[in-house]
Amino acid sequence: MSILELQAATIKFGGLIAVNEVSFKLEKGDLFGLIGPNGAGKTTCFNLITGVYKPTSGDIIFHGRQIQGTPPNRIAQLGICRTFQNIRLFPALSVLENVVVGGFLRHRTTLAGALLYLPSSLRETRRLKDEAMDYLKILDLDGVPNARAADLPYGMQRRLEIARAMATKPELLLLDEPAAGMNPQEKQDLMETVKRIRDDHGITILVIEHDMRFVMNLCERIVVLDHGEEIAHGPPEAIRNDPKVISAYLGEPV
Amino acid sequence: MRFWSIRLASVLIALGACVLLQALVGHASDYEQRIVVLVGLYITLSVSLNLINGITGQFSIGHAAFYQVGAYLTGYLTLNYFSKQPIHNMLLWVILMMFVGAIGAAVAGFIVGLPSLRLRGDYLAIVTLGFGEIIRITVQNQPAIGGSYGMNVTPKYQSVALVWLLAIICIAVCRNLLKTAHGLPFLSVREDEVASQAMGVNVTRVKVTAFLIGSAFAGAAGALLAHFEGFITPTTFGMDVSFIILTMVVLGGTGSITGSIFAAALLAYLPEYLRGLKGADGQPLMIPGSNVVAWLVAVAVAVTLTRLVMNKYSGDKLKKLALYLGAFALAVVSRFIAAFFLRMIPVMANKQIPIDQVRMVIFAVTLIVIMLLRPQGIFAHHEFSWSWVKGLFKRGEVPHSAVSA
Repeated sequence: MSILELQAATIKFGGLIAVNEVSFKLEKGDLFGLIGPNGAGKTTCFNLITGVYKPTSGDIIFHGRQIQGTPPNRIAQLGICRTFQNIRLFPALSVLENVVVGGFLRHRTTLAGALLYLPSSLRETRRLKDEAMDYLKILDLDGVPNARAADLPYGMQRRLEIARAMATKPELLLLDEPAAGMNPQEKQDLMETVKRIRDDHGITILVIEHDMRFVMNLCERIVVLDHGEEIAHGPPEAIRNDPKVISAYLGEPV
Repeated sequence: MRFWSIRLASVLIALGACVLLQALVGHASDYEQRIVVLVGLYITLSVSLNLINGITGQFSIGHAAFYQVGAYLTGYLTLNYFSKQPIHNMLLWVILMMFVGAIGAAVAGFIVGLPSLRLRGDYLAIVTLGFGEIIRITVQNQPAIGGSYGMNVTPKYQSVALVWLLAIICIAVCRNLLKTAHGLPFLSVREDEVASQAMGVNVTRVKVTAFLIGSAFAGAAGALLAHFEGFITPTTFGMDVSFIILTMVVLGGTGSITGSIFAAALLAYLPEYLRGLKGADGQPLMIPGSNVVAWLVAVAVAVTLTRLVMNKYSGDKLKKLALYLGAFALAVVSRFIAAFFLRMIPVMANKQIPIDQVRMVIFAVTLIVIMLLRPQGIFAHHEFSWSWVKGLFKRGEVPHSAVSA
């Protein structure tokens, strides 16, 4: 059974059809790419999957269960977590605290216990912090756990977003333009990290990205959107040579 | 085992400190006791508002309403039911009333918390402000609870210890929250609601919880106020009280518990201290008008020069300190120069103003000066920490706070 399935998902904002009957399936362990020109509806797709918007029509099925209309925090608890195109960290919190927020949905103590400062809540806090450190290590951020998130350089902020999303222990991770603004070396490192996240942690990954080298080298299957419609679907080689994709997005080779 | 012994010791120290305080001020005049109580109540109020405003980032400015709900609810109960119930122990009764006041105010907090789910920033501020006024005006128009004449709360129960115990509990609760992982969702909601929700934080529940806890403490404080004063009127809980509490939170540094405590103590005590100032003849201090204006000139000079040093000079800390002292000295000199010229104006020289009349001016100027020199609040976003104090004495190194946010 596929882990995530969009069945003719459609959303309209007034007269604008942002996403029009988009359907695709993600199998467990996929490295799936979602590409298309600006305004094609890629981020809107993410917002549909993570519950920010409710689709006007169509179904979104996660593990055989319809999840459209479920609030975002419930969806994170079900096992779908995301990063944001325009970085949305908690700027005044430390790097470690940012990641602990991600892990917090798995906490096992009560608020009352925390207010009374019971040993159990302290142990839980320590456990969550230790776990968060593990995620920082994966994203190579373990050197700066106490820095303010806002003070980090751009590339590290991008990685911190991934670490924070991973701390929720998702089965499906949605990365919204993770390589934007990175230099070639950083992109190369990120690509390896993302592959490692899939291979070592068994997390299915859906990624939006404009950098074609990044997407073509990373993803095993790709869906191309244009004006809210799906125009192509398949492995990178097929996408690269698809005439519709070339005219809508990639452009003719010079 | 070690944990519980430390826990027991700290609870005993807190209780002991309250009893000791009671013993120390128990024989002082009513007026002096009242100042100590007011400082304790304002600490509770500002720390609890800080939980809503500073930590959770929900801009609420109607905190006096919760204070009022606690005071009126428990005042009414004491007046009508204390003599009819079997336990005639006033201490137990007042403790019970603290809980009742807390629950009553928490219900009110829940009602205000609900619109906060949809509103942000300025809009929420307007709603909470309106809510505060609704409560005050409703009370003012209920003859059954005294209307605008106010309500007598008998029997009175004046306990400094209880007030400070409540303040300590309030501080402890907020501090515990921030020390454990449970505090992080509150901070993350302040930082970014959308991202919080995407990380699985139930933003709705977090906001409502903040309002519940914050207003409960304000309600308990109201219960103690009603029983301490023995008389409450709607004007005791006017909009100005809400603003003073908000000022304490902002002045101390939004989000900082220690900042709120410090600012609450300062702002609750300062006006009373000024009121109590006596001249050489034992009468309230009289100040010539020229001196009042001269001091204002001095403050303006001091603030201007200090800001100049702050913004233009970056270098050795000791030299910077010397420059600050120089600015201060220049300000004092300018005060005398200004006074010299102002005395030549007969109206200024002959007009004697009692300190009581200018104390609110001094209060306001203090606020303006602090906000000009430290717009982020006295403690900024930080908590007081010893490592920070130590850092001050190390030359060259920049002190950093041990606690973030």
